[in-house]
Amino acid sequence: MIFGFLKSPPLSPRLHRLKNSALFHSLTALELKIVDGLMHERRYLTDEIVFDEGEEGQALYLVTSGRVVISRSHGSGFNVVAELGPGSVFGDLALLDDSPRNAQARAMENCELAVFFRADFLGLMETDAVIGYKISLNLARLIGQRLRDWMGGRPQVEAL
Amino acid sequence: MKDDQRAGPVVWCGIIAVTCLLLVLLEHMLWLAIPFIFGTILYYILLAPMQRLIRAGVGQDAAALTVGGVFFAGLSLVLVVVFSYVAVPDDSWKDVISHYLDGGVAFVRNTTLLLEREFPIVEQMRLTSLVNKTVKSFTANFAQRHLGGILVATAGWLPSLLLAPFLTFFFLRDGTSFKKFLARAVPNAFFEKTLFLLHEVDQTARRYFDGLIKLTVIDTVMLAIGLWLIGVSSPIVLGLISAVLAWVPFVGSVLGCIMVVVVASTDAPANPVIAYGAIGVFVAVRLLDDFIFMPLTLGRSLQIHPLMTVLMIFVGGSLAGVAGLMLVLPILGVVMVVGETLGCLITNARLRARHRNAMALRRQQASVDLR
Repeated sequence: MIFGFLKSPPLSPRLHRLKNSALFHSLTALELKIVDGLMHERRYLTDEIVFDEGEEGQALYLVTSGRVVISRSHGSGFNVVAELGPGSVFGDLALLDDSPRNAQARAMENCELAVFFRADFLGLMETDAVIGYKISLNLARLIGQRLRDWMGGRPQVEAL
Repeated sequence: MKDDQRAGPVVWCGIIAVTCLLLVLLEHMLWLAIPFIFGTILYYILLAPMQRLIRAGVGQDAAALTVGGVFFAGLSLVLVVVFSYVAVPDDSWKDVISHYLDGGVAFVRNTTLLLEREFPIVEQMRLTSLVNKTVKSFTANFAQRHLGGILVATAGWLPSLLLAPFLTFFFLRDGTSFKKFLARAVPNAFFEKTLFLLHEVDQTARRYFDGLIKLTVIDTVMLAIGLWLIGVSSPIVLGLISAVLAWVPFVGSVLGCIMVVVVASTDAPANPVIAYGAIGVFVAVRLLDDFIFMPLTLGRSLQIHPLMTVLMIFVGGSLAGVAGLMLVLPILGVVMVVGETLGCLITNARLRARHRNAMALRRQQASVDLR
Protein backbone atom coordinates (compact mmCIF):
# COMPACT_ATOMS: atom_id res chain seq x y z
CA MET A 1 0.00 0.00 0.00
CA ILE A 2 2.82 2.39 0.93
CA PHE A 3 4.38 2.07 -2.47
CA GLY A 4 1.05 2.04 -4.25
CA PHE A 5 1.86 5.31 -5.99
CA LEU A 6 4.67 3.52 -7.83
CA LYS A 7 2.17 1.26 -9.58
CA SER A 8 1.18 2.12 -13.13
CA PRO A 9 -2.29 3.65 -13.42
CA PRO A 10 -4.93 1.23 -14.75
CA LEU A 11 -5.17 1.08 -18.54
CA SER A 12 -8.14 2.72 -20.20
CA PRO A 13 -10.40 0.37 -22.23
CA ARG A 14 -8.92 1.81 -25.38
CA LEU A 15 -5.35 1.03 -24.28
CA HIS A 16 -6.53 -2.40 -23.15
CA ARG A 17 -7.68 -3.12 -26.69
CA LEU A 18 -4.23 -2.13 -27.98
CA LYS A 19 -2.54 -4.24 -25.31
CA ASN A 20 -4.59 -7.27 -26.37
CA SER A 21 -3.34 -7.13 -29.94
CA ALA A 22 -0.40 -9.28 -31.05
CA LEU A 23 1.51 -6.24 -32.27
CA PHE A 24 1.45 -4.17 -29.09
CA HIS A 25 1.14 -6.73 -26.27
CA SER A 26 4.73 -6.22 -25.08
CA LEU A 27 4.47 -2.42 -24.73
CA THR A 28 4.31 -0.78 -21.30
CA ALA A 29 1.41 1.50 -20.33
CA LEU A 30 3.41 4.63 -21.19
CA GLU A 31 4.54 3.16 -24.50
CA LEU A 32 0.95 2.18 -25.33
CA LYS A 33 -0.14 5.75 -24.58
CA ILE A 34 2.51 7.09 -26.96
CA VAL A 35 1.48 4.67 -29.73
CA ASP A 36 -2.20 5.43 -29.09
CA GLY A 37 -1.44 9.13 -29.60
CA LEU A 38 -0.25 8.29 -33.11
CA MET A 39 -3.18 6.09 -34.10
CA HIS A 40 -6.32 7.20 -35.93
CA GLU A 41 -9.79 5.82 -35.32
CA ARG A 42 -12.02 4.94 -38.28
CA ARG A 43 -15.53 3.51 -38.46
CA TYR A 44 -16.62 1.32 -41.39
CA LEU A 45 -20.10 0.09 -42.28
CA THR A 46 -20.97 -3.44 -43.30
CA ASP A 47 -19.62 -4.10 -46.82
CA GLU A 48 -17.53 -0.94 -46.92
CA ILE A 49 -14.08 -1.45 -48.45
CA VAL A 50 -11.13 -0.68 -46.18
CA PHE A 51 -8.55 -1.04 -48.92
CA ASP A 52 -8.33 -2.62 -52.34
CA GLU A 53 -6.00 -5.25 -53.71
CA GLY A 54 -3.23 -3.54 -55.70
CA GLU A 55 -3.63 -0.22 -53.85
CA GLU A 56 -0.50 1.45 -52.46
CA GLY A 57 -0.36 0.58 -48.76
CA GLN A 58 0.25 3.40 -46.30
CA ALA A 59 -1.02 2.04 -43.01
CA LEU A 60 -1.60 -0.91 -40.72
CA TYR A 61 -5.09 -1.61 -39.32
CA LEU A 62 -6.04 -3.01 -35.96
CA VAL A 63 -9.59 -4.30 -35.50
CA THR A 64 -10.95 -2.85 -32.26
CA SER A 65 -14.56 -4.00 -32.79
CA GLY A 66 -16.51 -5.81 -35.50
CA ARG A 67 -15.19 -8.17 -38.15
CA VAL A 68 -13.23 -7.68 -41.36
CA VAL A 69 -12.97 -10.08 -44.30
CA ILE A 70 -9.80 -10.39 -46.35
CA SER A 71 -10.22 -11.63 -49.91
CA ARG A 72 -8.19 -11.97 -53.07
CA SER A 73 -9.37 -11.70 -56.63
CA HIS A 74 -9.51 -15.06 -58.37
CA GLY A 75 -10.60 -15.05 -61.97
CA SER A 76 -13.83 -13.06 -62.09
CA GLY A 77 -14.64 -13.44 -58.38
CA PHE A 78 -13.06 -13.20 -54.96
CA ASN A 79 -11.65 -15.88 -52.68
CA VAL A 80 -12.18 -15.22 -48.99
CA VAL A 81 -8.87 -15.93 -47.33
CA ALA A 82 -9.41 -14.76 -43.74
CA GLU A 83 -11.97 -13.32 -41.36
CA LEU A 84 -10.56 -11.16 -38.62
CA GLY A 85 -12.07 -10.17 -35.29
CA PRO A 86 -11.15 -7.74 -32.50
CA GLY A 87 -7.43 -7.67 -31.67
CA SER A 88 -6.35 -8.78 -35.15
CA VAL A 89 -4.05 -6.68 -37.29
CA PHE A 90 -3.94 -6.55 -41.06
CA GLY A 91 -2.16 -4.56 -43.72
CA ASP A 92 1.00 -4.84 -41.65
CA LEU A 93 3.28 -5.44 -44.63
CA ALA A 94 2.63 -1.79 -45.53
CA LEU A 95 4.70 -0.85 -42.49
CA LEU A 96 7.71 -2.55 -44.02
CA ASP A 97 7.52 -1.38 -47.63
CA ASP A 98 5.21 0.58 -49.92
CA SER A 99 4.41 -2.35 -52.16
CA PRO A 100 0.80 -2.74 -53.35
CA ARG A 101 -1.74 -4.44 -51.09
CA ASN A 102 -2.01 -8.10 -52.03
CA ALA A 103 -5.60 -8.56 -50.84
CA GLN A 104 -8.78 -6.58 -50.39
CA ALA A 105 -10.09 -5.78 -46.89
CA ARG A 106 -13.83 -5.23 -46.40
CA ALA A 107 -15.96 -4.74 -43.29
CA MET A 108 -18.13 -7.83 -42.64
CA GLU A 109 -20.15 -5.88 -40.10
CA ASN A 110 -20.05 -2.37 -38.69
CA CYS A 111 -16.58 -2.11 -37.26
CA GLU A 112 -14.07 0.21 -35.67
CA LEU A 113 -10.46 0.13 -36.75
CA ALA A 114 -7.36 1.79 -35.31
CA VAL A 115 -5.01 2.92 -38.07
CA PHE A 116 -1.23 3.15 -37.67
CA PHE A 117 0.27 5.26 -40.46
CA ARG A 118 3.61 4.06 -41.86
CA ALA A 119 5.34 7.44 -41.59
CA ASP A 120 4.36 7.62 -37.90
CA PHE A 121 5.79 4.13 -37.37
CA LEU A 122 9.05 4.99 -39.15
CA GLY A 123 9.26 8.26 -37.18
CA LEU A 124 8.76 6.29 -33.96
CA MET A 125 11.55 3.88 -34.97
CA GLU A 126 13.90 6.87 -35.38
CA THR A 127 12.94 8.78 -32.27
CA ASP A 128 12.06 5.99 -29.86
CA ALA A 129 14.15 2.93 -30.56
CA VAL A 130 12.70 0.88 -27.69
CA ILE A 131 9.09 1.10 -28.86
CA GLY A 132 10.26 0.66 -32.45
CA TYR A 133 12.19 -2.47 -31.60
CA LYS A 134 9.30 -3.98 -29.62
CA ILE A 135 6.80 -3.41 -32.43
CA SER A 136 9.29 -4.64 -35.06
CA LEU A 137 9.95 -7.80 -33.05
CA ASN A 138 6.22 -8.45 -32.67
CA LEU A 139 5.75 -7.79 -36.38
CA ALA A 140 8.54 -10.23 -37.22
CA ARG A 141 6.92 -12.86 -34.93
CA LEU A 142 3.56 -12.27 -36.60
CA ILE A 143 5.03 -12.71 -40.07
CA GLY A 144 7.03 -15.76 -38.88
CA GLN A 145 3.85 -17.31 -37.47
CA ARG A 146 2.10 -16.77 -40.79
CA LEU A 147 5.00 -18.37 -42.63
CA ARG A 148 4.80 -21.39 -40.33
CA ASP A 149 1.02 -21.58 -40.85
CA TRP A 150 1.49 -21.39 -44.58
CA MET A 151 4.12 -24.12 -44.54
CA GLY A 152 1.78 -26.18 -42.38
CA GLY A 153 -0.84 -26.06 -45.10
CA ARG A 154 -2.97 -23.09 -44.12
CA PRO A 155 -2.72 -20.97 -47.26
CA GLN A 156 -4.94 -18.00 -46.29
CA VAL A 157 -2.38 -16.18 -44.19
CA GLU A 158 -0.05 -15.38 -47.07
CA ALA A 159 -2.56 -12.82 -48.28
CA LEU A 160 -2.36 -10.56 -45.26
CA MET B 1 5.05 10.97 -54.73
CA LYS B 2 5.84 8.28 -57.29
CA ASP B 3 6.81 9.23 -60.83
CA ASP B 4 3.59 7.87 -62.34
CA GLN B 5 1.62 10.09 -59.94
CA ARG B 6 3.45 13.34 -60.80
CA ALA B 7 1.18 16.24 -61.63
CA GLY B 8 0.40 17.08 -65.23
CA PRO B 9 0.35 20.57 -66.83
CA VAL B 10 -3.22 21.36 -65.70
CA VAL B 11 -2.43 20.57 -62.06
CA TRP B 12 0.80 22.58 -62.31
CA CYS B 13 -1.12 25.60 -63.69
CA GLY B 14 -3.43 25.25 -60.67
CA ILE B 15 -0.43 25.01 -58.30
CA ILE B 16 1.13 28.19 -59.71
CA ALA B 17 -2.22 30.04 -59.68
CA VAL B 18 -2.92 29.07 -56.04
CA THR B 19 0.64 30.05 -55.04
CA CYS B 20 0.18 33.49 -56.67
CA LEU B 21 -3.20 33.92 -54.97
CA LEU B 22 -1.71 33.05 -51.58
CA LEU B 23 1.13 35.53 -52.19
CA VAL B 24 -1.36 38.31 -52.94
CA LEU B 25 -3.30 37.44 -49.76
CA LEU B 26 -0.02 37.28 -47.86
CA GLU B 27 0.80 40.87 -48.75
CA HIS B 28 -2.42 41.96 -47.01
CA MET B 29 -1.89 39.71 -43.98
CA LEU B 30 1.81 40.28 -43.39
CA TRP B 31 1.14 41.10 -39.72
CA LEU B 32 0.03 37.47 -39.29
CA ALA B 33 2.32 35.79 -41.83
CA ILE B 34 5.61 36.89 -40.22
CA PRO B 35 4.80 35.73 -36.65
CA PHE B 36 3.37 32.56 -38.21
CA ILE B 37 6.72 31.86 -39.89
CA PHE B 38 8.73 32.57 -36.73
CA GLY B 39 6.26 30.40 -34.79
CA THR B 40 6.68 27.56 -37.30
CA ILE B 41 10.49 27.75 -37.19
CA LEU B 42 10.43 27.65 -33.37
CA TYR B 43 7.93 24.77 -33.52
CA TYR B 44 10.28 22.63 -35.60
CA ILE B 45 13.21 23.53 -33.33
CA LEU B 46 11.32 22.63 -30.14
CA LEU B 47 9.36 19.61 -31.42
CA ALA B 48 12.15 17.04 -30.86
CA PRO B 49 12.85 17.99 -27.20
CA MET B 50 9.11 18.06 -26.51
CA GLN B 51 8.70 14.56 -27.96
CA ARG B 52 11.54 13.36 -25.73
CA LEU B 53 9.74 14.75 -22.69
CA ILE B 54 6.49 13.06 -23.74
CA ARG B 55 8.32 9.75 -24.10
CA ALA B 56 9.71 10.27 -20.61
CA GLY B 57 6.13 10.33 -19.33
CA VAL B 58 5.40 14.08 -19.25
CA GLY B 59 1.94 15.13 -20.48
CA GLN B 60 1.47 17.01 -23.76
CA ASP B 61 0.54 20.35 -22.12
CA ALA B 62 3.32 20.17 -19.53
CA ALA B 63 5.90 19.18 -22.18
CA ALA B 64 4.90 22.09 -24.45
CA LEU B 65 5.01 24.52 -21.52
CA THR B 66 8.37 23.18 -20.32
CA VAL B 67 10.24 23.31 -23.64
CA GLY B 68 8.70 26.70 -24.50
CA GLY B 69 9.50 28.10 -21.06
CA VAL B 70 13.07 26.74 -21.03
CA PHE B 71 13.72 28.04 -24.56
CA PHE B 72 12.47 31.57 -23.89
CA ALA B 73 14.16 31.70 -20.46
CA GLY B 74 17.43 30.61 -22.11
CA LEU B 75 17.00 33.11 -24.92
CA SER B 76 16.31 35.93 -22.45
CA LEU B 77 19.38 34.91 -20.42
CA VAL B 78 21.59 34.90 -23.52
CA LEU B 79 20.29 38.34 -24.55
CA VAL B 80 20.88 39.75 -21.05
CA VAL B 81 24.42 38.34 -21.01
CA VAL B 82 25.15 39.64 -24.53
CA PHE B 83 23.86 43.15 -23.73
CA SER B 84 25.78 43.14 -20.43
CA TYR B 85 29.09 42.22 -22.05
CA VAL B 86 28.78 44.19 -25.29
CA ALA B 87 30.85 47.35 -24.92
CA VAL B 88 28.43 50.17 -24.20
CA PRO B 89 29.48 53.13 -26.33
CA ASP B 90 30.48 56.36 -24.63
CA ASP B 91 28.29 58.29 -27.04
CA SER B 92 24.59 57.66 -27.49
CA TRP B 93 23.37 55.02 -29.97
CA LYS B 94 22.26 57.86 -32.26
CA ASP B 95 25.86 59.10 -32.46
CA VAL B 96 27.15 55.58 -33.05
CA ILE B 97 24.73 55.07 -35.95
CA SER B 98 25.56 58.43 -37.52
CA HIS B 99 29.27 57.60 -37.03
CA TYR B 100 28.88 54.40 -39.04
CA LEU B 101 26.74 56.11 -41.66
CA ASP B 102 29.40 58.82 -42.05
CA GLY B 103 32.03 56.09 -42.35
CA GLY B 104 30.00 54.42 -45.11
CA VAL B 105 29.51 57.69 -46.98
CA ALA B 106 33.23 58.48 -46.68
CA PHE B 107 34.02 55.04 -48.12
CA VAL B 108 31.76 55.65 -51.14
CA ARG B 109 33.34 59.08 -51.70
CA ASN B 110 36.89 57.73 -51.43
CA THR B 111 36.03 54.91 -53.82
CA THR B 112 34.60 57.29 -56.43
CA LEU B 113 37.67 59.55 -56.06
CA LEU B 114 39.90 56.51 -56.57
CA LEU B 115 37.92 55.52 -59.64
CA GLU B 116 38.20 59.05 -61.04
CA ARG B 117 41.97 58.98 -60.52
CA GLU B 118 42.37 55.63 -62.20
CA PHE B 119 39.83 56.00 -65.01
CA PRO B 120 39.63 59.41 -66.78
CA ILE B 121 36.26 58.53 -68.32
CA VAL B 122 34.76 58.34 -64.80
CA GLU B 123 36.21 61.80 -64.04
CA GLN B 124 34.53 63.16 -67.14
CA MET B 125 31.23 61.77 -65.85
CA ARG B 126 31.73 63.79 -62.60
CA LEU B 127 30.85 60.72 -60.57
CA THR B 128 32.05 62.13 -57.23
CA SER B 129 29.99 65.25 -57.60
CA LEU B 130 26.92 63.21 -58.52
CA VAL B 131 27.37 60.90 -55.53
CA ASN B 132 27.91 63.87 -53.18
CA LYS B 133 24.71 65.54 -54.36
CA THR B 134 22.67 62.34 -54.00
CA VAL B 135 24.01 61.58 -50.51
CA LYS B 136 23.47 65.18 -49.39
CA SER B 137 19.86 65.30 -50.59
CA PHE B 138 19.14 61.93 -48.97
CA THR B 139 20.75 62.67 -45.59
CA ALA B 140 19.38 66.24 -45.36
CA ASN B 141 15.76 65.05 -45.53
CA PHE B 142 16.15 61.55 -44.08
CA ALA B 143 14.79 62.37 -40.61
CA GLN B 144 11.77 64.27 -41.92
CA ARG B 145 10.92 61.88 -44.75
CA HIS B 146 11.76 58.40 -43.54
CA LEU B 147 12.71 58.22 -39.83
CA GLY B 148 9.16 58.77 -38.52
CA GLY B 149 7.75 56.15 -40.86
CA ILE B 150 10.41 53.62 -39.89
CA LEU B 151 9.78 54.16 -36.16
CA VAL B 152 5.99 53.89 -36.55
CA ALA B 153 6.34 50.72 -38.66
CA THR B 154 8.68 49.19 -36.05
CA ALA B 155 6.29 50.06 -33.21
CA GLY B 156 3.41 48.56 -35.23
CA TRP B 157 5.29 45.31 -35.87
CA LEU B 158 6.36 44.61 -32.29
CA PRO B 159 2.92 43.48 -30.96
CA SER B 160 2.39 41.13 -33.90
CA LEU B 161 5.86 39.61 -33.37
CA LEU B 162 4.82 38.79 -29.80
CA LEU B 163 2.28 36.41 -31.36
CA ALA B 164 5.15 34.09 -32.40
CA PRO B 165 5.71 32.45 -28.96
CA PHE B 166 1.95 31.97 -28.49
CA LEU B 167 1.66 30.35 -31.91
CA THR B 168 4.64 28.09 -31.14
CA PHE B 169 3.05 26.95 -27.87
CA PHE B 170 -0.26 26.09 -29.49
CA PHE B 171 1.44 24.37 -32.45
CA LEU B 172 3.37 22.22 -29.96
CA ARG B 173 0.38 21.51 -27.73
CA ASP B 174 -2.34 20.97 -30.30
CA GLY B 175 -0.44 20.08 -33.50
CA THR B 176 -1.11 16.33 -33.27
CA SER B 177 -4.75 16.80 -32.25
CA PHE B 178 -5.25 19.23 -35.14
CA LYS B 179 -3.80 16.72 -37.59
CA LYS B 180 -6.16 14.03 -36.25
CA PHE B 181 -9.06 16.50 -36.37
CA LEU B 182 -8.35 17.18 -40.05
CA ALA B 183 -7.98 13.45 -40.81
CA ARG B 184 -11.33 12.70 -39.08
CA ALA B 185 -13.14 14.92 -41.56
CA VAL B 186 -11.86 12.87 -44.50
CA PRO B 187 -14.05 10.08 -45.97
CA ASN B 188 -12.74 6.53 -45.48
CA ALA B 189 -11.99 6.03 -49.18
CA PHE B 190 -9.52 8.93 -49.26
CA PHE B 191 -8.17 8.43 -45.76
CA GLU B 192 -4.81 6.76 -46.44
CA LYS B 193 -3.99 9.19 -49.26
CA THR B 194 -4.93 12.13 -47.04
CA LEU B 195 -2.70 10.87 -44.24
CA PHE B 196 0.08 10.69 -46.78
CA LEU B 197 -0.72 14.24 -47.95
CA LEU B 198 -0.67 15.66 -44.39
CA HIS B 199 2.60 13.87 -43.76
CA GLU B 200 4.15 15.22 -46.97
CA VAL B 201 3.02 18.81 -46.21
CA ASP B 202 4.54 18.51 -42.74
CA GLN B 203 7.74 17.02 -44.15
CA THR B 204 8.03 19.71 -46.83
CA ALA B 205 7.66 22.52 -44.30
CA ARG B 206 9.99 20.77 -41.86
CA ARG B 207 12.65 20.14 -44.51
CA TYR B 208 12.44 23.77 -45.69
CA PHE B 209 12.82 25.25 -42.22
CA ASP B 210 15.49 22.70 -41.25
CA GLY B 211 17.34 23.59 -44.44
CA LEU B 212 16.96 27.30 -43.69
CA ILE B 213 18.42 26.88 -40.21
CA LYS B 214 21.33 24.78 -41.53
CA LEU B 215 21.98 27.32 -44.28
CA THR B 216 21.98 30.15 -41.71
CA VAL B 217 24.51 28.32 -39.54
CA ILE B 218 26.77 27.54 -42.53
CA ASP B 219 26.53 31.15 -43.82
CA THR B 220 27.30 32.54 -40.36
CA VAL B 221 30.36 30.34 -39.96
CA MET B 222 31.71 31.03 -43.47
CA LEU B 223 31.15 34.79 -43.23
CA ALA B 224 32.58 34.95 -39.71
CA ILE B 225 35.74 33.09 -40.79
CA GLY B 226 36.14 35.27 -43.89
CA LEU B 227 35.57 38.56 -42.05
CA TRP B 228 37.85 37.48 -39.19
CA LEU B 229 40.63 36.63 -41.68
CA ILE B 230 40.51 40.09 -43.28
CA GLY B 231 40.37 41.80 -39.87
CA VAL B 232 36.79 43.12 -39.59
CA SER B 233 35.60 43.65 -36.00
CA SER B 234 32.76 41.51 -34.50
CA PRO B 235 32.85 38.93 -37.32
CA ILE B 236 30.42 36.47 -35.66
CA VAL B 237 27.71 39.09 -34.97
CA LEU B 238 28.04 40.55 -38.48
CA GLY B 239 28.04 37.04 -40.00
CA LEU B 240 24.91 36.05 -38.06
CA ILE B 241 23.00 39.24 -38.95
CA SER B 242 23.99 38.90 -42.62
CA ALA B 243 23.00 35.21 -42.68
CA VAL B 244 19.56 36.02 -41.22
CA LEU B 245 19.14 38.90 -43.71
CA ALA B 246 19.93 36.39 -46.49
CA TRP B 247 16.61 34.66 -45.73
CA VAL B 248 15.23 37.29 -48.12
CA PRO B 249 16.60 36.29 -51.55
CA PHE B 250 18.68 38.95 -53.39
CA VAL B 251 17.66 41.98 -51.26
CA GLY B 252 18.80 40.46 -47.97
CA SER B 253 22.25 39.57 -49.28
CA VAL B 254 22.77 43.10 -50.66
CA LEU B 255 21.68 44.66 -47.33
CA GLY B 256 24.01 42.34 -45.40
CA CYS B 257 26.93 43.22 -47.68
CA ILE B 258 26.26 46.97 -47.33
CA MET B 259 26.13 46.61 -43.52
CA VAL B 260 29.46 44.78 -43.34
CA VAL B 261 31.18 47.17 -45.77
CA VAL B 262 29.94 50.16 -43.76
CA VAL B 263 31.29 48.65 -40.51
CA ALA B 264 34.61 47.67 -42.14
CA SER B 265 35.14 51.08 -43.75
CA THR B 266 34.27 52.94 -40.53
CA ASP B 267 36.47 50.78 -38.29
CA ALA B 268 39.48 51.17 -40.60
CA PRO B 269 38.99 54.40 -42.60
CA ALA B 270 42.66 54.56 -43.55
CA ASN B 271 42.66 51.04 -44.90
CA PRO B 272 39.99 50.63 -47.63
CA VAL B 273 41.44 47.23 -48.52
CA ILE B 274 39.49 45.74 -45.57
CA ALA B 275 36.19 47.05 -46.98
CA TYR B 276 37.05 45.76 -50.46
CA GLY B 277 38.06 42.46 -48.84
CA ALA B 278 34.64 42.32 -47.11
CA ILE B 279 32.96 42.69 -50.51
CA GLY B 280 35.16 39.86 -51.81
CA VAL B 281 34.22 37.65 -48.85
CA PHE B 282 30.53 38.35 -49.46
CA VAL B 283 30.76 37.52 -53.16
CA ALA B 284 32.70 34.31 -52.40
CA VAL B 285 30.24 33.17 -49.70
CA ARG B 286 27.26 34.03 -51.95
CA LEU B 287 28.74 31.94 -54.79
CA LEU B 288 29.39 29.03 -52.41
CA ASP B 289 25.86 29.50 -51.10
CA ASP B 290 24.17 29.52 -54.49
CA PHE B 291 26.11 26.64 -56.01
CA ILE B 292 26.94 24.36 -53.08
CA PHE B 293 25.17 25.07 -49.77
CA MET B 294 21.71 26.05 -51.02
CA PRO B 295 21.31 23.06 -53.38
CA LEU B 296 22.49 20.82 -50.51
CA THR B 297 20.02 22.28 -48.00
CA LEU B 298 16.99 24.15 -49.39
CA GLY B 299 17.23 22.77 -52.95
CA ARG B 300 17.04 19.17 -51.77
CA SER B 301 14.27 19.98 -49.38
CA LEU B 302 11.72 21.23 -51.91
CA GLN B 303 12.62 19.20 -55.03
CA ILE B 304 11.53 21.97 -57.38
CA HIS B 305 13.18 22.53 -60.76
CA PRO B 306 15.85 25.31 -60.49
CA LEU B 307 14.32 27.30 -63.37
CA MET B 308 10.91 27.19 -61.69
CA THR B 309 12.55 28.24 -58.40
CA VAL B 310 14.15 31.35 -59.93
CA LEU B 311 11.01 32.31 -61.89
CA MET B 312 8.78 31.92 -58.83
CA ILE B 313 11.16 34.06 -56.73
CA PHE B 314 10.68 36.88 -59.26
CA VAL B 315 6.91 36.32 -59.31
CA GLY B 316 6.86 36.37 -55.49
CA GLY B 317 8.81 39.61 -55.42
CA SER B 318 6.52 41.33 -57.90
CA LEU B 319 3.31 40.13 -56.18
CA ALA B 320 4.18 40.56 -52.51
CA GLY B 321 7.46 42.48 -52.31
CA VAL B 322 10.13 41.42 -49.83
CA ALA B 323 7.76 39.05 -47.99
CA GLY B 324 6.94 37.41 -51.33
CA LEU B 325 10.64 36.91 -52.07
CA MET B 326 11.10 35.27 -48.69
CA LEU B 327 8.00 33.05 -48.64
CA VAL B 328 7.38 32.09 -52.23
CA LEU B 329 9.46 28.88 -52.03
CA PRO B 330 7.91 27.32 -48.89
CA ILE B 331 4.43 28.28 -50.11
CA LEU B 332 5.12 26.77 -53.54
CA GLY B 333 6.52 23.61 -51.89
CA VAL B 334 3.42 23.09 -49.74
CA VAL B 335 0.95 23.98 -52.55
CA MET B 336 2.84 21.63 -54.87
CA VAL B 337 2.44 18.68 -52.47
CA VAL B 338 -1.25 19.48 -51.83
CA GLY B 339 -1.94 20.01 -55.56
CA GLU B 340 -0.20 16.81 -56.66
CA THR B 341 -2.03 14.72 -54.07
CA LEU B 342 -5.43 16.32 -54.74
CA GLY B 343 -4.86 15.81 -58.47
CA CYS B 344 -4.13 12.17 -57.75
CA LEU B 345 -7.27 11.78 -55.59
CA ILE B 346 -9.61 13.56 -58.00
CA THR B 347 -8.45 11.56 -61.00
CA ASN B 348 -8.64 8.19 -59.19
CA ALA B 349 -11.94 6.69 -60.40
CA ARG B 350 -11.76 3.70 -58.03
CA LEU B 351 -11.44 5.87 -54.90
CA ARG B 352 -14.35 8.06 -56.02
CA ALA B 353 -16.46 4.95 -56.69
CA ARG B 354 -15.63 3.59 -53.23
CA HIS B 355 -16.62 6.90 -51.68
CA ARG B 356 -19.95 6.89 -53.54
CA ASN B 357 -20.53 3.32 -52.38
CA ALA B 358 -19.78 4.24 -48.76
CA MET B 359 -22.20 7.18 -48.97
CA ALA B 360 -24.89 4.89 -50.36
CA LEU B 361 -24.28 2.40 -47.52
CA ARG B 362 -24.59 5.21 -44.98
CA ARG B 363 -27.83 6.45 -46.51
CA GLN B 364 -29.17 2.89 -46.59
CA GLN B 365 -28.29 2.29 -42.95
CA ALA B 366 -29.67 5.64 -41.83
CA SER B 367 -33.01 5.00 -43.55
CA VAL B 368 -33.39 1.29 -42.79
CA ASP B 369 -36.49 1.72 -40.60
CA LEU B 370 -37.99 4.61 -42.59
CA ARG B 371 -40.71 4.22 -45.19
